[in-house]
Amino acid sequence: MDIGFSPEEMRFRDECRDWLQSNVPLEKRPIDAADAIGFDKAWQRRLFDAGWAGINWPTAYGGRGLSIVQQVIWLEEYAKAHAPWIGANFVGVNHGGPTLILNASEAQKSYHLTRILQGEAIWCQGFSEPGAGSDLASIKTRGRIEGDELVVNGSKIWTSFAHVADWQELVLRTEEGSQRHAGLSWAICDMHAPGITIRPIRKMSGQTEFAEVFYDDVRIPLSNVVGGLGNGWKVAMSTLSFERGTGFIAEQVRAGQEIAELIATARANGMIRDDGIADQLAQMRAEVAALRAMTYRNISEVVRTGQPGPEASVIRLFTAELGQRLERMAVLLMGEDMIDFAYGDDNAVQDYLRGFASTIAGGTAQIQRDIIGERLLGLPKSR
Amino acid sequence: MDLTLNDEQEALRTATADWCRDNMALEDARWRAPGLWAELEAMGWTGMTAPGMDLDHATEAVVFCELGRSIAPIGLLSTAAANRWFADGFAGKVALALPADEPGDMRVLDPGGSAAVLMWQADKLCLFVTPDDAPHAPTIDLSTDQCRRSWTVSVQSDNTAAPLHLQLLAAAYAVGCADAARDMAADYAKLRQQFDRPIGWFQALKHICSDMAVRAAVARSQLYYAACALDAGHADAAFHISAAKRLADQAALDNGRANIQVHGGIGMTDEAAPHLCLKRAHLLQFIAPADAALLLKDPV
Ligand SMILES: Cc1cc2nc3c(=O)[nH]c(=O)nc-3n(C[C@H](O)[C@H](O)[C@H](O)COP(=O)(O)OP(=O)(O)OC[C@H]3O[C@@H](n4cnc5c(N)ncnc54)[C@H](O)[C@@H]3O)c2cc1C
Repeated sequence: MDIGFSPEEMRFRDECRDWLQSNVPLEKRPIDAADAIGFDKAWQRRLFDAGWAGINWPTAYGGRGLSIVQQVIWLEEYAKAHAPWIGANFVGVNHGGPTLILNASEAQKSYHLTRILQGEAIWCQGFSEPGAGSDLASIKTRGRIEGDELVVNGSKIWTSFAHVADWQELVLRTEEGSQRHAGLSWAICDMHAPGITIRPIRKMSGQTEFAEVFYDDVRIPLSNVVGGLGNGWKVAMSTLSFERGTGFIAEQVRAGQEIAELIATARANGMIRDDGIADQLAQMRAEVAALRAMTYRNISEVVRTGQPGPEASVIRLFTAELGQRLERMAVLLMGEDMIDFAYGDDNAVQDYLRGFASTIAGGTAQIQRDIIGERLLGLPKSR
Repeated sequence: MDLTLNDEQEALRTATADWCRDNMALEDARWRAPGLWAELEAMGWTGMTAPGMDLDHATEAVVFCELGRSIAPIGLLSTAAANRWFADGFAGKVALALPADEPGDMRVLDPGGSAAVLMWQADKLCLFVTPDDAPHAPTIDLSTDQCRRSWTVSVQSDNTAAPLHLQLLAAAYAVGCADAARDMAADYAKLRQQFDRPIGWFQALKHICSDMAVRAAVARSQLYYAACALDAGHADAAFHISAAKRLADQAALDNGRANIQVHGGIGMTDEAAPHLCLKRAHLLQFIAPADAALLLKDPV
């Protein structure tokens, strides 16, 4: 075991740092999706042009073809440099693209992947429905096969970036009368197609970042189905494993910055003299250190065995809950100034309110605990 | 960067686990055979990182997790540290003293058959070469006796890595203890039936077990990182080992409590094993405790 990096990796780290130092935008990313879309696209394009998009994606599709450790190094330096959140490119870059790399046809890959890396195509995820949240297998949106097309009717909800997206990962029922996990397909849906209506939804933090999406006889070519008709559940599970698996790398660096800032703030305003606060800060500092250790352990597991290992679900839950504890502390340290919050403010209260998502989106904390209990500890399935 | 076990470490881990299961079962923690210490010495665990052994602290931590999982004798911690930092001056078992100020009494743990006493202090280790001649009393941990001794002349190791080493080993014991409680709870939750199904089917119980798994995984990861930091001589090794000890102690205590709850009535009996983990955890929290002030200091 060791926690050092090879000379080659260290050189790569220097390269990342140098480029980021002179290229991270000085202006802040606007917090609302519609205002930020231009910013998000331009920044992604800049990353792509300089060779920093898709570090471990295949070179044939615009990536760099580098190792996962180099990807980690990039994400660490990215967070250290306070580079902007990738925003609207999140879905395409973090799970849409990786799902295509794993499951899509050559034609699908060569059309979509480079566009994602270039920030030219924005993706969204159409999994959840009003009646299918944690119980994703109860999806009702259906696609009737007509010639070489699917004719889609139904609705999706909580679709992040739907109102700015060009494409969607759409999971729908393509076999009439099918139940649960069977008869589903994962299709690439053109968000500009006729018959799609988008009703944006505002979050309690003020942003309009997700939406309800209605499908009224929307036509999708059958050639847009990924991984074969009826294999949607399997493909969707790979999407979720990417969604649940990549975010934490940058998260651990950000958590390190946050806890350092919180301790400095508590010193400056004297609240650190409260033993309860000092103890919570010390605890979180230890937990943030452990988060990095877990991340490294997980990544080296992937390098050694090609798989993230069963403890990946543990990291995901721990990251989410630790993030929320940090956000709560930041608000606590604001004292009564926290009540000044109004929509549009980009401060700790905003992060705190937004942060409720981390134990809901992509599988709630309860569902994660089921997964840990059942897959890691072998307890009987509750569902 | 690699925080996974290599083949050699994995083999050593498995061998240790197997040996512990056959010769030092957790359930028998309060009735250790008189010959056990000699066997532990013969297995080489009392001096894995002693000069000339060429083993690193990461490997040692992996092994001590397994020993801790079986509630191995506390004296192993002090003996292993003494063998690393004090070349000579004693032979055989070294008991462990909790930190105390001169000239007060010191509280010595696991004194049975020891030839010397090692005291952990935040900045040094002190070795007292004294025979085991004071009367023993029990501790909350049924596997560990104690005695009182007055302060005598000692040899000291001021090497900053010395107290960190012992703290790391104690953290490894706590990680093992947290693992043991987690596994005991999960096994029971699969076995025990109520309402015509295993109690682990109920989420109220399943999620208690999941949280035990999270705590154990968090503590173990930090332990490995800390061991590597100590091996590499990093300036922040003290910080990382303190973080590891804090998280490991917490995991051992919280998992110890949760395990009892998962077991219901049998869980709080003297006869069943769950209390052994909880009581060991309570003892470990006083051995080389984490320094909260260090956790709040600016990174080096
Ligand atoms: C900010 C945000 C962004 C999102 N973006 C997207 C997106 O882009 N695309 C997309 O498809 N979806 C998205 N989602 C939806 C998200 O995946 C769902 O909200 C999530 O899966 C939970 O479903 P639900 O909201 O219907 O809650 P429900 O499933 O109704 O859950 C309600 C409560 O019941 C609990 N619960 C449910 N079932 C069980 C069970 N079996 N055992 C124990 N407890 C249970 C849950 O944990 C939760 O506390 C987003 C959500 C948020 C908050």
